[in-house]
Amino acid sequence: MPTIEIEGRVFEVDGDGFLSQPESWDHEVAEMIARYDGIDPMSEKHWAIVNIIRRNYEEKGMAPMIRTICQETGLRLREIYELFPLGPARGACRVAGLPKPDGCV
Amino acid sequence: MKKLTEEQRRKALEVFENFSDSKLLTHLNSCVHCGLCAESCMYYQVYKDAHYVPAKKVDMVSSIYRRYHTLSGKLVPWLTGARDLDEEALEEMIDLFYGSCTICSRCTMHCSIGVDIGYLVRIGRAMLAGMGFVPATLQSTVDAAINTGNNMAIPEQDLIDTLKWLEEELQFEVNDEKAGIPLNVPGKDIMYTLNPREPMFFPLSIAAMAKIFYAAGESWTLSTRMYDVTNYGYFSGNIQEATAIAQRLYDEMEHIQARRCVLAECGHGIRAFRWEAPNYLGKPFPFEVITSVELLAEYIRQGRIKVDPARIPEKVTLHDPCNLVRSGGVIEMQRYILRKSVSDFVEMTPHGADNYCCGGGGGQLSMSEYNERRMKITGLKADQIKNTGAAIVCTPCHNCVDQLIQTNAVYKLGVKIMTLAEIVADALILE
Repeated sequence: MPTIEIEGRVFEVDGDGFLSQPESWDHEVAEMIARYDGIDPMSEKHWAIVNIIRRNYEEKGMAPMIRTICQETGLRLREIYELFPLGPARGACRVAGLPKPDGCV
Repeated sequence: MKKLTEEQRRKALEVFENFSDSKLLTHLNSCVHCGLCAESCMYYQVYKDAHYVPAKKVDMVSSIYRRYHTLSGKLVPWLTGARDLDEEALEEMIDLFYGSCTICSRCTMHCSIGVDIGYLVRIGRAMLAGMGFVPATLQSTVDAAINTGNNMAIPEQDLIDTLKWLEEELQFEVNDEKAGIPLNVPGKDIMYTLNPREPMFFPLSIAAMAKIFYAAGESWTLSTRMYDVTNYGYFSGNIQEATAIAQRLYDEMEHIQARRCVLAECGHGIRAFRWEAPNYLGKPFPFEVITSVELLAEYIRQGRIKVDPARIPEKVTLHDPCNLVRSGGVIEMQRYILRKSVSDFVEMTPHGADNYCCGGGGGQLSMSEYNERRMKITGLKADQIKNTGAAIVCTPCHNCVDQLIQTNAVYKLGVKIMTLAEIVADALILE
């Protein structure tokens, strides 16, 4: 199992850098992964997106549709892509500590 | 090391029985070891390691074939380079067929005698799938498709809510409440398909197509029961699963009674359905199957939609999805569309049928196991893009889009990645 070390803390991750144990996630981890991706600091908008993704994952076991993220945060689609340059999956879902979604992402 | 049972070995070797046509035998026995394929391969170009020479993949399959299916291989394997299918061979096969090939088939184009190396890699994957060694991350995408009807396990209601939301946005944008995304309407001219990543994360391309259909006055519908254009069974090598997935789209076309099935911008999905499915299913299609690329070209050529290239003044380059272009033969139409829709279209080098893969093909994007290699070989693509000086990279494949988003971020290219429909929708003149 590969690991990544960010700022002295070591996490088990898959080859794409998604946390292998989503339960090891906390806000500090989110900020560390975001910094790793060049997002520093996380703005209120980043947090709004990440919190919705995390909540949906804890309730339903999967990432929410982008529609839900847009409607609940009031953010435009293009704004979400700008906030997370790696996209909602490899960017936002990874920061939210989810396992990598299936499919072409 | 993984353990191999007698039953698993039997399953792997069965592949040679099931494909015992002249094509398999010809391609297995023709490599002359000239080595020309080496430089055609992204992995070899980047790593400069003999392990990645495509001919080695050919040799892997053919040496096992010789061991079990030829007299000399059975009697004097050491004289004929025949090889046992044992645990050691297994590890090597997994790394060669899943871990270091995007099945881009550029090697096939460059082969001095025309060996279909991509096909033999798929045979290698079929052997591994038969033994149950599909990488877990790839299999989980196949499982999602088989179990839920789409490869991202999107519940039908969530899809419908997303499409309704997009429909409202479209009506607002074109200021016409008759504009829409018709769901499950039988008897239309077109049934359109989607890559599940569109409704899940990247719906701008659905909005773009809906706007274009509106402008063209098209008679179309989407099925919310079965709309998934992807077929990861094609990547895993499990032909039964690939067939089951293809059968569902076929059945939905019959059920919804559309005249044409239009495949969304998805390279492997187009290949798996348009070119492989008739073989999987053992029958020709009783309906027309075309790609959205061809449809968009048709709209522009026939004057059904009008585009204004002045609306896209940025320099635009085009990435060629391997399955659509090199293997699918759809090469010129996307170029025709871009020349009509953007002001400054520039080709990358090489381009067209000789273009490099994005690095994420062949299921690589879903296989986390090989992420490091995937991001390394895509450096070639990053260089190609950089050399064009383009601000926008267009590619008619959602898988390529996702890979290029990562390439863009990692190699700091600062470009925008767009599908062809998104380009056309931006250039569209609504009357």
